[in-house]
Formats: sequence, structure tokens, C-alpha cells
Amino acid sequence: MVRNRTALLLFRLVLGGLFVYAGAIKALEPLDFAQSIRNYDIVGQALSFFAALVLPWLEILAGVFLIAGVWTRGAALVISGLLVFFIALTVVTMVRGLDIDCGCFGAVDRKAGVSVILEDLAMLYLGLCVLCQKGAPAQKGTGALEALE
Amino acid sequence: MSEARKVLREALILGAAAVLTAAAVRVPLIKRFARGEFRESFFQAGDYPGIRMIALEEAEDLWRAGQTAVLDARAEEAFKRGHVPGARNVPAAGTGGTIPADLLGAARDRTLVVYCEGGDCLSSLILARRLHDEGFRDIRVFGGGWEEWRKAGLPEATAERDGTGKKDDGQE
Repeated sequence: MVRNRTALLLFRLVLGGLFVYAGAIKALEPLDFAQSIRNYDIVGQALSFFAALVLPWLEILAGVFLIAGVWTRGAALVISGLLVFFIALTVVTMVRGLDIDCGCFGAVDRKAGVSVILEDLAMLYLGLCVLCQKGAPAQKGTGALEALE
Repeated sequence: MSEARKVLREALILGAAAVLTAAAVRVPLIKRFARGEFRESFFQAGDYPGIRMIALEEAEDLWRAGQTAVLDARAEEAFKRGHVPGARNVPAAGTGGTIPADLLGAARDRTLVVYCEGGDCLSSLILARRLHDEGFRDIRVFGGGWEEWRKAGLPEATAERDGTGKKDDGQE
């Protein structure tokens, strides 16, 4: 795992930024995202609806906290957990032979497939590096701005 | 408190905050769900009066009548592999969200049938809404899509057997 502070800061900014972006797109169009979740055919209509309302905000909040350097490891745990879930979901979807949009970045037409898994694995690596760092930056007073100094 | 428990607590608080934020921001939508909307579909029919969902039989009838522009909202690769004969490929993604100019020249009351892969795929709805925003008022979304068309054993075309797939350009 990477331990270099500058690299970890970069990881936080990239990963946090991606999650804020992905969350914001989905938060703007909750019904489109609900349909994307429903298409996976794993949960019903009601759960798809409520997941579509909550998941984008979880992504946004975790991303913002990661960028800000507040509760960094907690945010990294949320993001890593989500990524593990997304990867498992995509694998199951491929095994079941479903040809559906992944819903990763809103309504962009992109199939749930190998490229999505590789992308999620790369992000998971960044998330785990941040999660496994020794001591949270916030504890040591090394938030994003201070680390840049 | 151990570090692991502290991290877990932070993650749980973030989760709770997400639930509360979503509930606060989406009160009107949650109320609509509580009233029974979105139980069948997440499509807000009231916002798009010119869009109607249709079944295979109606899609087939319209296609056989030949007076309808059939639009395939899937990506170009999927379209080339196989599509409804005479359908035109207007991918919902990858074209910058624009409708081809010649299609925009068609009469706004013309019947348009839109489909995508099937299995509640989103592309056809995205394209249908875009067409609706452009003023078209008789857009019929064939929800079963290509998957259902194929399973029904209806005629198929590929890019080779159907020229460029641009036989029907949506104009009268």
C-alpha cells in the first residue's frame, strides 16, 4: 500500500472528486437512477426507489469528507465498501447474462461489464490505500490544505 | 475506543447523514411514492404527455403499417449486430445528446416508435424524452425492445443486410 503523504492526498482528491461527480449526476435524476437499479433485477421497485434517493448522497458526502480530510478513513471505508458492492454486483450481472446499463455515472449509456469492474478495482485500490494509512490525517491536523503546504 | 471502531462509527454516521439528507431533499418525491406513484414504473408520464409505452403487438403493427419512423436508441455496435428492419439508429449516448438535423425536420405529429435493448433499458426513454423536448408529440416507447422482438421471431436486419440502417430517416 502507498504510504507517501502527497500520493495519498492525490488519491483522496481523485477518488473524492469522482464520487462527488458520480453522486451529483445521480442525485439530479433520481428516477433515472432508480430505473438503473431496478434493471439489475435484484431488488424490487420500492427498494430501488429508496436506494436511488440515498446512494447518491452517500457518494457525495463520502467524497466531500474524503476531499476535505475530515473523517478520512470513515469516508474511505464507505467508498471502498460501495466499490466492493458495485464490483460484486457487476460480476453477478455478467454471470446472469444481463445486458443492462451500469448506471455508474447517471444515465450515460454504458454496459455493466469488464471495463466497469476494472475501473472500480482501480478506485478500490485508491480507497484501500487511504483506508489503511496509519492514523487519520484529521487526527494529526494534516487536512487537505495543510498537506499541500 | 479502538481505531477500527472509530472508523466504523464515522462510516455509519455518514450513512445516516445520507439517509437524512436524501429524505430532506426529496420530500416531494417521497410523498408521490407514498401516494402510489412509481409502483409500476419510474417514468413520470404526467411530465411527458406525448410519450406512451407500447407492447410488442402494437410495435409490430406500427412497423408493418410502414408509416412510422422506428428509432433504435442503442449504441451503434449493438445496432449493427441486429435491429428491426428499416429502423434508424439514433444512439441515446455518444452523440452529445443531439437529435440528427434531418430527423428534426420531420412533422411533429409523426408517430415515432423508439426502442432499445429491452429489459427496462434506459436508452429508449432518454431518447424519447429528448424527442419530446424537441416538440414531437406521438412517441411510443417499445419497452420490450430488441430482446423481445428477437424472441418473438420477428424479422431482423443487420448493417450489411439493411444498408446503413438509415432507410427510414423519419421524414415523410
